[in-house]
Amino acid sequence: MPKDAIGPIVQGQGISLTIDGQAVMGNKGQTILEAALAHDIDIPYLCYNPRISKTGACRICLVRVNETMFKTACTEPIAPDMRVVTEDPELTEIRKGILEMLLAEGDHNCLYCDANGACELQNLVMRYDAAMPSGDFPRRHRTIDEASSKGLKRNEDRCVLCGRCVKACAEVQLNNVWQFTGRGGNTHLTSDLDAKIGDSTCVNCGTCAQLCPTGAITLQPVLGRGANWDLKKESSICIYCGVGCKIDFFKNKGGQLVRALGHPDGPNQGHLCVKGRFGFDFIQKPARLSKPLIRENGAFKEATWDEALDFVAARLKEIKAQHGPDAVAALTSAKCTNEDNYLMQKFMRAMVGTNNVDHCARL
Amino acid sequence: MMNRETVSRIVAARGTGRENLMMVLRDLETLSGNNQLSPETLEHVAEEMNLPASAISGFVGFYTMFSTRPRARYVLRVCKSGPCHVMGSGTIFGALEKYLGIRPGQATADGLFFLEKCECLGVCSVAPAMMVNYDLHGNLTEAKIKDLIAAYRAKTPTAAEQSGPEVEGRACVIRSEGQTKRLLETVGRVDPSSIDSFLQHKGYAAVRKALAEYTPEQVLQIVKDSGLRGRGGAGFPAGLKWSFIPKGDMPKYVICNADEGEPGTFKDRILMEENPHLVLEGMLLCGYAIGAATGYIYVRGEFRRAIDRLQGAIAQARAKGLLGQGIAGSAFHFDIFVKEGGGAYVCGEESSLINSMEGLRGYPRFRPPFPAGSGFRNSPTTVNNVETFASTPLIVLNGADWYKSVGTAKCPGTKLFCLSGRLNRTGLAELPMGTTLREVIETHGGGMKDGGKFKFAQVGGSAGGILAADLLDLPLDIDQTLQAGVTLGSGAVLVCGEETCPVDFLLNILSFFDHESCGQCTPCRVGSAQLHHLARKLAGRKAAPGDIDRMVEKALLMKKASLCAMGQSPILPVTTMVRNFRQEFERHGHPDHNCPACDRTLQRLYRAE
Repeated sequence: MPKDAIGPIVQGQGISLTIDGQAVMGNKGQTILEAALAHDIDIPYLCYNPRISKTGACRICLVRVNETMFKTACTEPIAPDMRVVTEDPELTEIRKGILEMLLAEGDHNCLYCDANGACELQNLVMRYDAAMPSGDFPRRHRTIDEASSKGLKRNEDRCVLCGRCVKACAEVQLNNVWQFTGRGGNTHLTSDLDAKIGDSTCVNCGTCAQLCPTGAITLQPVLGRGANWDLKKESSICIYCGVGCKIDFFKNKGGQLVRALGHPDGPNQGHLCVKGRFGFDFIQKPARLSKPLIRENGAFKEATWDEALDFVAARLKEIKAQHGPDAVAALTSAKCTNEDNYLMQKFMRAMVGTNNVDHCARL
Repeated sequence: MMNRETVSRIVAARGTGRENLMMVLRDLETLSGNNQLSPETLEHVAEEMNLPASAISGFVGFYTMFSTRPRARYVLRVCKSGPCHVMGSGTIFGALEKYLGIRPGQATADGLFFLEKCECLGVCSVAPAMMVNYDLHGNLTEAKIKDLIAAYRAKTPTAAEQSGPEVEGRACVIRSEGQTKRLLETVGRVDPSSIDSFLQHKGYAAVRKALAEYTPEQVLQIVKDSGLRGRGGAGFPAGLKWSFIPKGDMPKYVICNADEGEPGTFKDRILMEENPHLVLEGMLLCGYAIGAATGYIYVRGEFRRAIDRLQGAIAQARAKGLLGQGIAGSAFHFDIFVKEGGGAYVCGEESSLINSMEGLRGYPRFRPPFPAGSGFRNSPTTVNNVETFASTPLIVLNGADWYKSVGTAKCPGTKLFCLSGRLNRTGLAELPMGTTLREVIETHGGGMKDGGKFKFAQVGGSAGGILAADLLDLPLDIDQTLQAGVTLGSGAVLVCGEETCPVDFLLNILSFFDHESCGQCTPCRVGSAQLHHLARKLAGRKAAPGDIDRMVEKALLMKKASLCAMGQSPILPVTTMVRNFRQEFERHGHPDHNCPACDRTLQRLYRAE
């Protein structure tokens, strides 16, 4: 969680407490987990995510409060003089027990899991040395839908029912495609009325996949194109519109872009739309234009920028002189910045002398 | 097939708000003719109510009374919970298979009957019981099943309840000497369908007295002084709970928790069926004390007769000016509405209940915020049990000292005990707090059935502890049971004789928790399923060494880590059962151990799975 999301301590409203013996100041309304993270104190969690409302369901973040009580750090508000212990033998045992329950419930074999190496459950299992429990507990078999959507792959046998996807869809994208249905051990996801995700009202923003702590919902483009630990991250700005979403692109060993995740610090605060999430494959297609082309005798010929611009300027002047300025029109693109678009309409009105200006986003 | 116009008409009648989803779906299921909510119907509902399709799917999938698959004209729901199990519900499944050729999950070829196993129907004194659509029938035998099937073949389904006379409230009250009848004093004498009859028995006198003589603070103080503790099971002081509601002018809600789902408990149903105005009066007093103007009664959907009588009582009270604007000529406004449940034990947990009322899946909410600060519609809300509300008019009318004149020092008043199981007399008895189990069984239950020998009793419902003979003289009140490592809970007393196998009994309880866990938090969702699995292995003489201790460990983890009280419940029956009957448990660990009880259960209830 970015520390500045917590905000500075409001004068006169600070709450002092201790976490693992360390004196900590927090704001009224903060949870134990928020106060801890702001001070680089590590409390493990699964269902919590700063981008969605609190859930309190996975119970991994259970901490000891004032010696006798167990509280979920993600939901419990801090209070003056509260004493919080984030790890002790009993808490470790509880967390390990919960992790082993999750392991027994699903199919959590990292060897063939898409999230291997980038899995929050795996990290916790390693941290707590959890293992498959004995007891021959039957595994829950839930929906596996690998192909109906070009954006998302769904393998609910990897699901820990943390509910991040449900809330991501409802609270971030405001689309409400995901929901839990069934009850108890038979609880599982539904998209719309038990539709396949590809046939549902999903708009492929991919937020559910980005927030999924395991390999239950994954992004299709990366599959089979590199192990998580081989992917290199490069942050960039989305080229599709003027919002300027910050994207973390991931490149595989062969130099191909294979995955896009929303960066938490951009104006998008981690969110992406379908274009930013999936619309990057063109850059590595051979048909992509990388040099200006001028059509001569019905065929395109490569040209330099100087040649191309001189050609365009000459033709615009000719057309204006011969047919008047209204014979020229400009259509600009949402892929340009606001500044680019401003310059284009200024150029058309002031230099060419026409109001024939339009933009693809108007459609 | 349900057309769009029908759905539109029902939604218009019930209201488009999400809070009406339960009733819209109930109406549509009844209209379907085969007790089905088809995907097409649900799509129409989503569009007509402007709700996401996923929300409808999630809602229908949570409440077990609904089905998206076709069932039949009549759904037979046979109770498999503790009291019915002990009293032979297994034979009912056998009889139905014999006469109809169907097992749970199957329909007859003529489309008339669909069989389901269900959890407690709240008529445990006439166990074994079943529900046919919304009609309850008890004291079932093979012969009675045969007659009922024949009768339903000749009938057309109706929305009006046509339950058997044996399940009516007054028929389920024990007539024994030595009861302290306060709540039950007028049962059988008051006509529940007539407000005039209630008025002749000091009806609404407490409300009139409070409005004329007391300030809201004084009413609250009287309830506090009386020491009345919540009768739903947790025993939290009622007056203290009410005092947590913030003062000031804002929407506040009084909710009566009538989702009586704890197996073996049927007291609230009887109060609502026989004395509905007493419950309304208690809610009015609470509303006056905390400054609320609206009350809701959340009744489990299975209690058709109670719902009908409450609806009738509310209409009559409104006509008499005892609900609505300016009650009894005062400046106090209060109205009450009925909400229905859809088949989910967890909705008896107050925050689940609130979510259910809002048209959501019945997931409990994490606390804080507590309902007193942010409950129904995120407004201050108090949720109390039916018996708690029904007690308050008597307290306000007769005073706190009168109330404390019976019971124990810290748990004053009377308690409704729900007697079921292997007793000569089963039903409801009103006894002072602190009555011993021995007196409950011998004096009011008429002793063990057929001269059998007492083996154990489960007190407090499926979430309650097991009391063996060593605790027969334990005074049953809220604190003394806790000190003895058991609980009073809802007041259910399920008595079992020597023939009851503790492993079979525990399997029954743990299958209940597995079925009823909401699935939200990890420990309860996975833990309940794992406990059920371990018990099933043990019942099948297939347990691994250490499985008994593993059960205790799982239940302990659930106790420590679960989100709500439900996940914290299995520990009590598991540990008390294992503590009392460890040897029998260990015998089941041997593959060659003979146990006809476990064999029967596995054969009847697990074969089809």
